Amino acid sequence: MRDIVVVREVAYPREMVWAALTDSRQLGAWLMPNDFAPHIGHRFTFRTKPAPGFDGVVRCEVLELRAPERVAFTWVGGPLETVVSFDLEAVARGTRITLRHAGFDGAGNLLPRVVLGFGWRSLLAKKLVVHLAGVGHGA
Amino acid sequence: MSRVSPDQDPFRAIADANRRRMLDHMLAGERTVGELAGLLGIAQPSVSQHMAVLRLAGLVEERAEGRRTFYSVRADELRGVAEWIAKYEVFWGERLDALEAHLARQRQ
Repeated sequence: MRDIVVVREVAYPREMVWAALTDSRQLGAWLMPNDFAPHIGHRFTFRTKPAPGFDGVVRCEVLELRAPERVAFTWVGGPLETVVSFDLEAVARGTRITLRHAGFDGAGNLLPRVVLGFGWRSLLAKKLVVHLAGVGHGA
Repeated sequence: MSRVSPDQDPFRAIADANRRRMLDHMLAGERTVGELAGLLGIAQPSVSQHMAVLRLAGLVEERAEGRRTFYSVRADELRGVAEWIAKYEVFWGERLDALEAHLARQRQ
């Protein structure tokens, strides 16, 4: 399984990060306007500017909620139903945030080959290849 | 990034190992169903079924030459799949930057 994983340590306590992730207004301030509510099974949307081929709405449902350490929700804003989760771990400096965007199964195995095969040389592509090579052992 | 029917979903189309192997061979050049069956060591009807899934997802195109049909990869479509994931990676990096900036404002 190939996931997007981004790990970030911030110098703020876990409860503060948790509030930024699970309060609709705060979530809107850094992610996107939304009608999130902290209840498992709650269906909500993120709304952003529409783009060609995208209506600007990400449809979600809260799957997991374990204060102050884990929140997960479905994320349907593209060709697949994916899952976004945040794990919070208290560390000496503050909080380690692990964002995982999962559900891209299958795609990852082919991509490095496609990218290399076509001499796709953009910075983005190089990043992607490195990323896929790096997360292959995860999840 | 609109929703598509499961039949047209390129991600589902490449979730199958045999279909990925077919794409790998077609990346090297156009192939017939018969050639792919030989290369993969699976029956022609299976290859035809897999090919139908790939065609429906828009990942391959066909070219008739006499009685033979050659299939090849539509590179732009595959790149689209790759870019879609790469964009999300960039997106989350930027959002976590925004989260950190938000936390800094909260503390003030």
